[in-house]
Amino acid sequence: MKKKTDVWQGTLALMVLKTLAVLGPQHGYGVARRIEQTSENLLSINHGTLYPVLLKLEQEGSIASEWGVSDNSRKAKFYRITKAGRRQLEAEERGWRQASEIVARFVTLRGVEE
Amino acid sequence: MRRLRRMWKRALGVLGGTRQQQEITAELESHMQMQTEDNLGLGMSRDEARREAVLKFGGVASTQESLRDQMGMPGLESFLKDTHYALRGMRKSPGFTVVMVLTLALGIGANTAIFSPVNQILLHPRGISHPERLVVVRTKYDKLNLKSISDSPPTFADARDSRAVFEHATAMRRVDVNYTGGAVPQSLHAAAVSAEWFDVFGARPSLGRTFTAEEDQPNTNRVAVLAHSAWIRIFGADPAVVGRVIELNQEHYCIIGVMGPEFQWPAAVDVWIPLALQPKAFDPGNRFNEGLTVVARRRPNVPFAQANAWLKVLADRVLNARTPGAAYAKNADWGLFGVPFIDFSAGATKTPVLILLGAVGLVLLIACANSAGLMLARISARAQEMAVRAALGARRGRLIRQTLTESLLLALAGALVGLALAYGGALLLLRLAPEGAVAGIGASPDLYVLLFTAMAAIVSGVVSGIAPAWQLARIDAHGTLKGGGRSSTAGPARQRLRSVLVIGETALALMLLVGAGLLLRTFAQLENVNPGFEPRGVTAAVSSLPRKQYPDGIRQAVFYREVLERLTNTKGVATAAVGVGVPFSQYGGSGSFLREGHTPAPGEAIPHSDRRYVTPGYFKALAIPLERGRVFTEEDRVKTQPVVVIDENLARQYWPDEDPIGKRIQPTSGEGWYTIIGVVGHVLGYDLATDSGEGVVHFSLFQEKQALPAAWILAKTPGDPTNMAAAIREAVQEADPNQPVHDFKTLDEMVSNSLAPRRFVTRLLGFFAVTALFMAALGLYGVISYSVTLRSREIGIRIALGAKPESVLLDVLSQGLRLTGAGVAAGLAGWLLINRLLASQLFKVSAFDPLIFACMAAALLAAALLASYLPARRAVRVDPLSALRAE
Repeated sequence: MKKKTDVWQGTLALMVLKTLAVLGPQHGYGVARRIEQTSENLLSINHGTLYPVLLKLEQEGSIASEWGVSDNSRKAKFYRITKAGRRQLEAEERGWRQASEIVARFVTLRGVEE
Repeated sequence: MRRLRRMWKRALGVLGGTRQQQEITAELESHMQMQTEDNLGLGMSRDEARREAVLKFGGVASTQESLRDQMGMPGLESFLKDTHYALRGMRKSPGFTVVMVLTLALGIGANTAIFSPVNQILLHPRGISHPERLVVVRTKYDKLNLKSISDSPPTFADARDSRAVFEHATAMRRVDVNYTGGAVPQSLHAAAVSAEWFDVFGARPSLGRTFTAEEDQPNTNRVAVLAHSAWIRIFGADPAVVGRVIELNQEHYCIIGVMGPEFQWPAAVDVWIPLALQPKAFDPGNRFNEGLTVVARRRPNVPFAQANAWLKVLADRVLNARTPGAAYAKNADWGLFGVPFIDFSAGATKTPVLILLGAVGLVLLIACANSAGLMLARISARAQEMAVRAALGARRGRLIRQTLTESLLLALAGALVGLALAYGGALLLLRLAPEGAVAGIGASPDLYVLLFTAMAAIVSGVVSGIAPAWQLARIDAHGTLKGGGRSSTAGPARQRLRSVLVIGETALALMLLVGAGLLLRTFAQLENVNPGFEPRGVTAAVSSLPRKQYPDGIRQAVFYREVLERLTNTKGVATAAVGVGVPFSQYGGSGSFLREGHTPAPGEAIPHSDRRYVTPGYFKALAIPLERGRVFTEEDRVKTQPVVVIDENLARQYWPDEDPIGKRIQPTSGEGWYTIIGVVGHVLGYDLATDSGEGVVHFSLFQEKQALPAAWILAKTPGDPTNMAAAIREAVQEADPNQPVHDFKTLDEMVSNSLAPRRFVTRLLGFFAVTALFMAALGLYGVISYSVTLRSREIGIRIALGAKPESVLLDVLSQGLRLTGAGVAAGLAGWLLINRLLASQLFKVSAFDPLIFACMAAALLAAALLASYLPARRAVRVDPLSALRAE
């Protein structure tokens, strides 16, 4: 089994937004599961840490929520991404891509051979 | 933008309440159940599934906590909670709240009321932009004992041409003009100013315009700008007044502008007219002919010291040049210097105003001590509650913050009530204030005053909350709870702190009482001063004859002779006289003279004296004693030998070992010799407290060839002086119906007015001292009363054991007296530190006058006796049974 990684600060919001953008409205548990699945279980998140991020995104207007009924007919709060959220997602994706490219360049740097 | 939205949502969240909490709980619960169900699907047992779900979630309670915090604003919430708690506490004990608010309102209100004029006099005079950059240029002749006098036209020109130092410079001369447009002729206070006047002060007219440079020239200067007050008084605030032609001194002047109410400088001015100096006024020979008030505005980058140094450079240049009279000026130590405008305009009011400010500061301190005492008492009463809260985990910081919130809220309420008090107080203050001292000063609070009040509220809120908060920090929850709220261990400590506060209050009150007492004593001493003349029964009025009709002394003399003749024949008039300069009229003419046969050596000061021009009846009307020779008679007129009467001070100074009668003197400004024919007693000219000792030369008004400025007509009656004003007016009307006569006052009033500023300060300080006494007594009452409550068990036991009521009474009284005694001692020590502040205001009274100290200490002790008698009586009535059972 591969070693699990912790979530980097600030990336959780991106994951939440992306998950909601791709998979449509989800409840908190659903989002947590999808993130784990997408990372092929490489990421370990405490589900509890997800809720403050959801609240923050909602307060910022990037996502909206309403109560609904889950697949197994349980009452749950569903989150969906808003227009502002999509804009934010685009911006964050751009920023992330840029950052990872830069880091990648350093990682692939080779020493000069004597 | 996103952040802003989030802040807003969180602020709204503060109001959210319980529904949001429930939602959070529901959402997290549904999450747990879904996870549990999935786990069950993986084949776990129910318990296992639930435990796994909890583990996976990682702390439901802490997530809930962090969501709750994130939903609202914890800082704001706890502040609101503190406020809510404080308000509830205040509502629950209205007596406490009212006393606290009133105490602080009195303290803050008194400070605001005093600060309002202080701000306008000393800090931010109204209607003047950047007053700190204004410099008044002054001239001095050190050897002649002339420390600060006005300037000459060449000096004005020098300041005006110093462009590198001053942006603008302007000159002003006060003149009184006769306005003949109304029903009766009246005299207006005019200021002849150079065109730059309004620019220097940065003052703009509210109607029309101000002077141009062309109008500030001789012969084109028939224009006038009205002061706001005169515009209302004389022209009924007519907006069409601009363009109107009025007659001033029988010349036509066109009104070109009206200033707003905020700019009225020089004080009490009615109308500004152009100065229009003749070109020859700027001749170097006119250098030592002073009579202009010169005001200049420093460039922003030029500090005051540099401007002052520049004036010294200018003066040295004059002395080293071949200026006519430079040698004389050098001997007299002539020089130029600058005075910051605010110091100049505040003048003598500065010290009293600062003393009052200090006094109200002390009153506020006392008020704070009192409210701190009250808060402490309240904490004692709530010690149990506080201890329970502390035991339940309320953090110490939280309890302290709560106390400070409460005291700040009370101070804020106090400030609001205080503002209303201050407005009324300032109105009263301005009404009581001596005439002229507060001209142009308004009572309504401006931004500065509001800021000051807010500061005072915050400071007094913190000061009165800090001692209770400190006590709270030391609260011993365990001990208090164990003691069951009875005489707990923290109780005595709080009581000690309250005692210290009361001692401090008493000390401050003693200082205020002593200060007020000393001023009162000073006042009594001043009223006993013999001014050297008898003011009783003498009425004076001012007449200023226009140059056009009365161009010289001879024609003026004809007018005055006629007035005096009619006056003397009026029923009830015992003596009538005219004097140019009478004691306490604020008129101060002076000049230098030479003695016959005495050539001043280089460097020797030239004799100098005050000058008065008087008619023969003057000495009799004022009952100034003749010591030697004779006074003027009707025979001393233009054609006869010129004569003068000097006073004893001048005789002693310049003819110490010889008889001055028959000696001759020559004024340096005129020609011809005057023979001394008499020596009269010295008269205090300006002030009962200070006598410069400067000698006086009296000239005969009927021998004067030059026209004189305003003259005082005097009428003395053995009877009631109220009819004299009418008699003088009638006599003047009959002599020349076009001439106004104004400023009717009895000499008694003039002498009394010279004391007006002192009377004002004394009264106010007295009022503050009594307030302080009252507050200190109130504070003592609170402490003693509470101590009786604390000790009721002990007292009950003592009474049960057969203690006599008198001994209980004495015990309580002596506690009060001990505290007050300590306060008096502390006050004495405090007085040692601050007595010098008052020294300049005292007259023939020592700052440590034992009588005053004894009286004030006695007053405090008496108040203390009364304040502790009331609780003591309660102590005596303690019923041993119920006192023991109450525990």
